[in-house]
Amino acid sequence: MTSADFSIILPELLLALFAMIALLAGVWTGKDKVARPILWATVAVMLVLAALIAVAGGASRTAFGGLFLDDAFARFAKVAVLLSAAAVLAMSVDYLTRRGLLRFEYPILIALAVVGMMMMVSAGDLMSLYLGLELQSLALYIVAALRRDSVKSTEAGLKYFVLGALSSGLLLYGASLTYGFAGTTEFAGILSVVREGEMPLGLMFGLVFLITGLAFKVSAVPFHMWTPDVYEGSPTPVTAFFATAPKIAAMALFARLVHDAFGTVPGDWGQVVAALAVASMFLGAIAAIGQKNIKRLMAYSSISHMGFALVGLAAGSALGVQAMLIYVAIYVAMNIGTFAFILSMERDGQPVTDISALNYYARREPLKALALLVLLFSLAGVPPMLGFFGKFAVLSAAVKAGYVWLAVLGVIASVIGAFYYIRIVYFMYFGTETDPLDRRMPAVQWVLFMGSAVVMLVGIVNLFGIEGAAGTAAAALVR
Amino acid sequence: MTDENSVLLIIVLLPFIGALLPGVMIRGGRTVCATFTSLPTALALLLLLLLAPAVMRGETVHASLEWLPQLGLSASFFLDGLGLLFAGMILGMGLLITLYARFYLSGDDPMGVFYTYLLLFQGAMLGIVLSDNILLLLIFWELTSLSSFLLIGFWSHLPEGRQGARMALVVTGAGGLAMIAGMLILGDIAGSYQISEILMAGDAIRASEWYLPALILILLGAFTKSAQFPFHFWLPHAMAAPTPVSAYLHSATMVKAGVFLMARMWPVLAGTDAWFYIVATTGLVTMVLGALIALFKDDLKALLAFSTVSHLGLLTMLLGLGTPFAAVVAVFHIINHLTFKAALFMIAGIVDHEAHTRDIKRLGGLRRLMPVTFVIGTITALSMAGIPLFNGFLSKEMMLDAAQQTEWAGSQFAVPVLATIGALLSVAYSLRFIGHVFLGPVRSDYPSTPHDPAFGMWAAPALLATLVVLIGILPVVIVGPLVAVAGAAVIGGEPLPHYSLKIWHGVNPALVMSVIAVGGGLVLLALHSRLDRIWNALPRPEAKAIFDALVDGMAALSRDLIERSHNGAISRYLAILFAATVALGLVAFAGGSMGLPSRALLPVAPPVVVGWVLLIAAALFVVVMHRHRFLALVVIGVIGLMISVGFAYLSAPDLALTQISVETVTIMLLLLALHFLPKTSPKESSTLLRLRDAGIAIAAGLSVASLAYAFMLRDVSTISGYHLANSYEGGGGTNVVNVILVDFRGYDTYGEIIVLGIAGLVIFALMEALLKGPAAQRLRTTDLSDNRSRDRHPLMMVVATRVMMPIAVMVGIYIFLRGHNQPGGGFVAGLVISIALLMQYMASGFAWAQLRQRVEYHAMIGWGVVIAGLTGAGAWLAGKPFLTSAFGYVHLPPIEEFELATAMIFDLGVFLAVLGAVMLMLYSLSRIARSAREPVNAEPMDYDPTARGKATRKDT
Repeated sequence: MTSADFSIILPELLLALFAMIALLAGVWTGKDKVARPILWATVAVMLVLAALIAVAGGASRTAFGGLFLDDAFARFAKVAVLLSAAAVLAMSVDYLTRRGLLRFEYPILIALAVVGMMMMVSAGDLMSLYLGLELQSLALYIVAALRRDSVKSTEAGLKYFVLGALSSGLLLYGASLTYGFAGTTEFAGILSVVREGEMPLGLMFGLVFLITGLAFKVSAVPFHMWTPDVYEGSPTPVTAFFATAPKIAAMALFARLVHDAFGTVPGDWGQVVAALAVASMFLGAIAAIGQKNIKRLMAYSSISHMGFALVGLAAGSALGVQAMLIYVAIYVAMNIGTFAFILSMERDGQPVTDISALNYYARREPLKALALLVLLFSLAGVPPMLGFFGKFAVLSAAVKAGYVWLAVLGVIASVIGAFYYIRIVYFMYFGTETDPLDRRMPAVQWVLFMGSAVVMLVGIVNLFGIEGAAGTAAAALVR
Repeated sequence: MTDENSVLLIIVLLPFIGALLPGVMIRGGRTVCATFTSLPTALALLLLLLLAPAVMRGETVHASLEWLPQLGLSASFFLDGLGLLFAGMILGMGLLITLYARFYLSGDDPMGVFYTYLLLFQGAMLGIVLSDNILLLLIFWELTSLSSFLLIGFWSHLPEGRQGARMALVVTGAGGLAMIAGMLILGDIAGSYQISEILMAGDAIRASEWYLPALILILLGAFTKSAQFPFHFWLPHAMAAPTPVSAYLHSATMVKAGVFLMARMWPVLAGTDAWFYIVATTGLVTMVLGALIALFKDDLKALLAFSTVSHLGLLTMLLGLGTPFAAVVAVFHIINHLTFKAALFMIAGIVDHEAHTRDIKRLGGLRRLMPVTFVIGTITALSMAGIPLFNGFLSKEMMLDAAQQTEWAGSQFAVPVLATIGALLSVAYSLRFIGHVFLGPVRSDYPSTPHDPAFGMWAAPALLATLVVLIGILPVVIVGPLVAVAGAAVIGGEPLPHYSLKIWHGVNPALVMSVIAVGGGLVLLALHSRLDRIWNALPRPEAKAIFDALVDGMAALSRDLIERSHNGAISRYLAILFAATVALGLVAFAGGSMGLPSRALLPVAPPVVVGWVLLIAAALFVVVMHRHRFLALVVIGVIGLMISVGFAYLSAPDLALTQISVETVTIMLLLLALHFLPKTSPKESSTLLRLRDAGIAIAAGLSVASLAYAFMLRDVSTISGYHLANSYEGGGGTNVVNVILVDFRGYDTYGEIIVLGIAGLVIFALMEALLKGPAAQRLRTTDLSDNRSRDRHPLMMVVATRVMMPIAVMVGIYIFLRGHNQPGGGFVAGLVISIALLMQYMASGFAWAQLRQRVEYHAMIGWGVVIAGLTGAGAWLAGKPFLTSAFGYVHLPPIEEFELATAMIFDLGVFLAVLGAVMLMLYSLSRIARSAREPVNAEPMDYDPTARGKATRKDT
């Protein structure tokens, strides 16, 4: 443990210290009265850290004897996590204030969750993997139940906690089996034990249970059951957070684990991941059709999207990881915009989540309807929106890796999935008259909503260069 | 990049740049708006004509820009004969439609928005026909769906428009998405996403095992876009759009995109049986079906829409035949169809505009009122019918000629007969268009008295009608070279087949078929009113109803499915989670490998059997009796004890010691907690559900057990060896378990005591919140006097615990000190001393004991963690990593030489944290009782031995 180690984990360290200082400051000063400055400070710290990490660059480094890795892959994921967390925090201020939910612990918990995520994507060892994962999860369990006086929110938090604890248990079981048979918890060490060909049963079980635990975190079918309930029950800003940063972190961790620790046997996990991907894409797409609540719909939508991201992972190649990173980054950008809109859905000052409230929206708010249309089409993966490029990247990676059947199934799922996005568009443009939604939309939400929609269109010029960054990241992971 | 190349790029970009103009010019009025819309279009057309000579010479113009090369995407375009034909059609029609729309739309309609959408669409269409990259093509493809959605929805106040727009979007959008997969496969086989390179790889593609899936997926896209059966139903419903849109999108350009794609991919995909049977059959069916429905439509635009469906079917069939001749005919017919059908749509629009109705039943006799319109309408409708001297005749003859040479599944007649029927129906509905709209007597009940519109409105259809006649009479002069060059582009490298564009071919089978068609068509028209009644009486599947039913059914099914599986019950979620995990375990079992068993089973000793049976029995008892909480808890205690015995039996005294202490403390605390909870749990699930759960539980349990069994029968390299070997040398202790805890895995232990401390604090905090909330109210009103023991603090117990207290503390210290080399350690010591203290609390009541302790538990936890942390950090001073322990041997007379390790200080931290956490939990739980106003003891026991017979109990 040297100063070099500390300089490598400096971003994590800073954010964690910030969170603790903010906690103390909050407790000793005005508590919820200082919630707003703490929140904006958190946003600022996250943005600064994201900028620091983004310009850092450099070769791969390890800290604490391999427990912690700092490479292009981790940096890519960290920047995405920090930016999305900051965006979601910024756009939730208004909503939380007006519902009396803006407690000073909220931004701190989010910051701690982000520390956990940064830890996850940098994990070089089963230990640090678990530490990061739990730090993230524990913070998330709490924010899911942020609205303590609402039965739904409490129920969501409790369900998430019970199921999450169980999945952590499974993951730990897998980790200990792996440790027992590989003799080490370090990814590099496991990788040197795992050889092509015969895979010892113990390691195989370890791998499968590790995948099970991670599948829960990315809400892949059949470990997804918590997702709709938690998305619906949590306050909308929390739902928006769930749909963004943790997804990047969990997918990145997934990729990290299977490539860094089991990269020599892609066949052994590729099939399992492909099966999870197919199940997620289809269940997400089919289930969303019948939804009337937009938050529940977004839950199934995110399940389906994670299925697509898993397609990239299943390919087991650098190209696949690159595609997955592109996909997740685009997915998060779309979700931020969509949730910025959902946050603003109100009627007489009360939040509305019913899809039918969007009836005839285009007539009253043509610009916003157009922006939402762009986002929804992008979510559906319809060209020329950015969402298409993500889908295309993962599908072509799958085809190149020989998973043609997976790509074909993916396209079928996306056709089914397109239906429910188009249904919303239909409601907006051609529905029947209903009570109008309020026109009010706070500036931050408006900027993120419109900005995200514009990104979906302008991004097609060069994807803002993320495919290059994702390529470098993937090359750092898959050697 | 040469000038030609940049010109091509500019052509593609012009409409998109131009799309900004109408929006800016919106205040200028309709004419300014229309002018600024036509500017980019006209400019693009001009540039296209500049490139035309080169293309007519047979050259291909390429232009390419780098764009996301890692995804295989490049902004590359190429212009060959086919592209030139389509681009010319798109731009030329674009100009005419702009002009027409200027007069058609009223001043109240937002013209700027309309023209912007129109230009967007035009750009997307141009993109499709000029793309040299299939991804680029896909992008433009979906962009047309999108912009057409906006155009159809332009008049969203009309109720029929809504359904139409949605259907069009769902059907064409989904088809486009399906095409992505097909294109991906195609690109994978060809090794490139460039269309010009894919066109070279025809043989490889046709030979690939993925040819059929790719073909079907691509055709799904083409068929949905070009409204082929069974996806034909969306097109007529999209006719709710303003007529200029119908004329442009739904007859001239967008619906031809599917045909264009089939023509573009013709050299690669055509020529196989699969292609022939899928494409030609679909086209044939669509042609006949569309024409049949068109005959019985009373709405002018619906009639034209179904006629378009029919003609698109005709084109599809021609391409599907797979012969070069048929392909050239298709190219020729594309031109002809464009000229007459777009004009007809505009005529329908004019009629609607003037008479305020499109219902054929309410029209008739317009010949006198609208002579100009009548002439244009008649010329174009006759062309649609395939009457000589008009261009429709020429391509129809050639089509019939191609059809009569075709054999379908062994039958000589299937294709020619159906093609003739299609032509016959086409004659019937075309003549009906003339007869029932323009001929007949003038009526007095038009919704609005019609007259010929302004010149600007009929100029465009008039121009097209002129073309109809010119091509009809002088085909070779007008379009001969274009057909040749476009035809050559479609059939790829092969030489052009022999064909001749002329009116009189002599008496041949095609002419005979044509004559039959015209004669039959006239008969049908004469019988129309009678047939109409039969048609209306016949039950027939309504595509819209089927589509709606399908959509609703799907939605209902999905809702049902999800409500069943995601009903919010966590027990169900858990069941699914465990079932999936067991299934995945089986996958792992199948995938992993394992050597043969290398260990023999040990002989079973009788005590082991007893222990095993006890364990199983206790576990079963807990499952069966789990509703009786106290009983279940006691039996869980039995299980814990058996496990400690097991540890002891298997020579792990440390674990046994820890387990037994932990067991005791937990059971005591749980008993305290249960005291204030209901004594039984309610039944919440049905027997069937419990059986299911039992099944899953048994499966999971058996899997884990068999896994453990399998592992234990085999020698595997484990991690124990390392610890055994390094415990003394590296950690300075002979008790390996303790060395692992405080040294090898010091981090874990450090984390563990923090967690334990947090747990204690959380219980405290929860209790704090609880006792301030509504629960406290309930507690205050609870009457606990019934189930209270008479002698709550028995003399015997008080005395015994007092005596045991110092002994227990001594044992604790002993265990703590010997920990490093013998079983024991800070953790166990902490637990032992907690038990000693717990007993005091139980014997004399909480309040009494609490008064006698001076140490704050919160602080104890904190100090424990701090001490452990500082010890770990101390290693830094020696330049070692966190938690590296040091040890040495000290000789202090008169004591024997003994070992001092920094690990011991660490252990002290552990000890304090454990003790503090356990006691804090106890303290927290006792607060419930105090809230329930349990009596507080002033004396150590209820019975006062000094005052026999006197009650000493005091309630406060």
